Amino acid sequence: MSAQVRDADHILETRGTRRDLGAHVVACTFAPDGMAAFGLGDGTLRIATDGDWTSIPAHEGAVLALAADAKGLVTGGDDGKLQRIADATVTTLADFGSRWVEHVAATPTHIAAGYGKRVALLDTAGKLLKTLEHPSSVTGLVFDAKGKRIGASHVNGASLWFVAAKTDNPRKLEWKGSHTGIVISPDGENVVTAMQENALHGWRLSDGQHMRMSGYPAKTKAMSFSRNGKWLATSGAESIVLWPFFGGGPMGKAPTELAGGDAALCTFVACHPQHEAVAAGFSDGMVVLADIGSERILPVAGPGGRGAITAMAWHPDGARLAFGTETGFAGVVDFSKQ
Amino acid sequence: MSASQTPHQVPVTVLTGYLGAGKTTLLNRILSEQHGRKYAVVVNEFGELGIDNDLVVDTDEEVFEMNNGCICCTVRGDLIRIVGGLMKRRDKFDGIIIETTGLANPAPVAQTFFVDEDVRARTRLDAIVTVVDAKHLPARLADSHEAADQIAFADVIVLNKTDLVTPAELEAVEAKIREINRFAVIHRADHANVPVNDLLNQGAFDLDRVLARVPEFLTDDAHEHNEDVTGLSFSVAEDLDPEKFNAWIGALLAEQGQDLLRTKGILAYKGDDRRFAFQAVHMIADGAYIGPWRPGEKRESRIVFIGRNLNRPRLRRGFEACRA
Repeated sequence: MSAQVRDADHILETRGTRRDLGAHVVACTFAPDGMAAFGLGDGTLRIATDGDWTSIPAHEGAVLALAADAKGLVTGGDDGKLQRIADATVTTLADFGSRWVEHVAATPTHIAAGYGKRVALLDTAGKLLKTLEHPSSVTGLVFDAKGKRIGASHVNGASLWFVAAKTDNPRKLEWKGSHTGIVISPDGENVVTAMQENALHGWRLSDGQHMRMSGYPAKTKAMSFSRNGKWLATSGAESIVLWPFFGGGPMGKAPTELAGGDAALCTFVACHPQHEAVAAGFSDGMVVLADIGSERILPVAGPGGRGAITAMAWHPDGARLAFGTETGFAGVVDFSKQ
Repeated sequence: MSASQTPHQVPVTVLTGYLGAGKTTLLNRILSEQHGRKYAVVVNEFGELGIDNDLVVDTDEEVFEMNNGCICCTVRGDLIRIVGGLMKRRDKFDGIIIETTGLANPAPVAQTFFVDEDVRARTRLDAIVTVVDAKHLPARLADSHEAADQIAFADVIVLNKTDLVTPAELEAVEAKIREINRFAVIHRADHANVPVNDLLNQGAFDLDRVLARVPEFLTDDAHEHNEDVTGLSFSVAEDLDPEKFNAWIGALLAEQGQDLLRTKGILAYKGDDRRFAFQAVHMIADGAYIGPWRPGEKRESRIVFIGRNLNRPRLRRGFEACRA
């Protein structure tokens, strides 16, 4: 290991904990008890407890989606099950048979699970409230910041549903092509999808204005709005690409690019829950924290030997960051640690 | 593409065939045979599968058009998602088998393996296997476009239900298949009894092997076809100019991509001692160097077209004009 790489691992070594979990890290999040949780390709959920991390068998095949809510953790798997994990016990909330549960999102009051063309909306106890139908398979699922609407991406656009609506007619956001992921801005004003053709598409909801953001060398797999909604951080380029959602942007504006310079692709982004900063992971395993205003870059974990970053999550208090890679390397860093 | 094939790329076999041809029987046979290998199976008609396989994925064929609706650039969005999901599993498997619906056009499946960067990185299209019904094929060819397309796309053809036809009928149906696709390997079968080793891990998209199978005598101009879909092959003894070839093939695919179901070539570029492999499905093309010419191998450029409305003299002149 070179001196530079050792330096790049300084934060992880002095303020972090790490494990080799041995299976693809599909998703990570923080449970309501504050523990970092990792959903893996071997079907287990690993909890970053002291000593040996707890391993909880959650699915027969692979964990495909993970979310935290007030009661604990919710996972979806390629065994067709939607599971609730609380107090280290697994309860099946729903079983969708041969359909993979590829997307899970949660608010304090609701759980949404995407399987095939459908999204099941459940209450936190697991009672099915309604099933939302889409024209093709759901490829991304997100609640808005208030938990009042659900956005789902699919072929030829996205559908926006009201959680509490009695009649189930979504607002259809249309744009030809395959949309592969979705985010909603914190103010609920903008919906952005990632597309198969290495580009993003957006809709401003107030007036239906379309937004097109392109120029990526690879597909964008992660998108994250900054806390105040001014910036949309994205993966898919050899830097963190940030689109300005202010001053008339992103239309006609060039994005800001941070932490570029290496050949490695940015594979994951997660904006800080309080400050105008973004954590980003790269295809060579490097993790950095970038301050958007000052453009300062803090290395968190060094590149090499750990595979591409496939998951990242902040604790809501903004002090801790969890991340994992395709080879099963996982880390939790505490920035507040003295 | 051979050059970019790495050991961890999972081979994918696409199983096509008209309704009732025996696709599901063949799939059950593959899965029940004791071969000690593990396959992930992607099916559309869940429930027909009689074999317990813990890696069966149920999907709806979701075909979408790339690049703002060009109908030649269609891909299977569901496959992109499924391949991505399967690659996250720890318990790895030896291959993926994708069963298409009876009426499916094989182009979007094949194109998916050219177009999507993640799919290309993790898998390689091993072969398209088409099951045809010896008794009913003539009727299917007469009443559907898809039946001919499925044969045209095939690397391997299972000519099934041979027990239901006379030897003369069998000869006739095989001749009909040859008129559409002279380049595929044909296995005669009843009750889909073809050994798994003749179907999986064929490396049929290894152009190398595909073109090695093209018999010399088929390159003559004497044979004429009446069938809608035909195959033509040409060879040029002299080295080619890559710029001339790219200009010609680019224009040809742009103009006639819809008619050209599959195009494959092994090319000798001037000043390069490696073989260049080229292939296309409709207008989606791909090419890479695949290593040096082997000792004793004749250094020449060969190209194969399978499609409709192929103008033999024009294609020949075009290919020959690519000489350096």
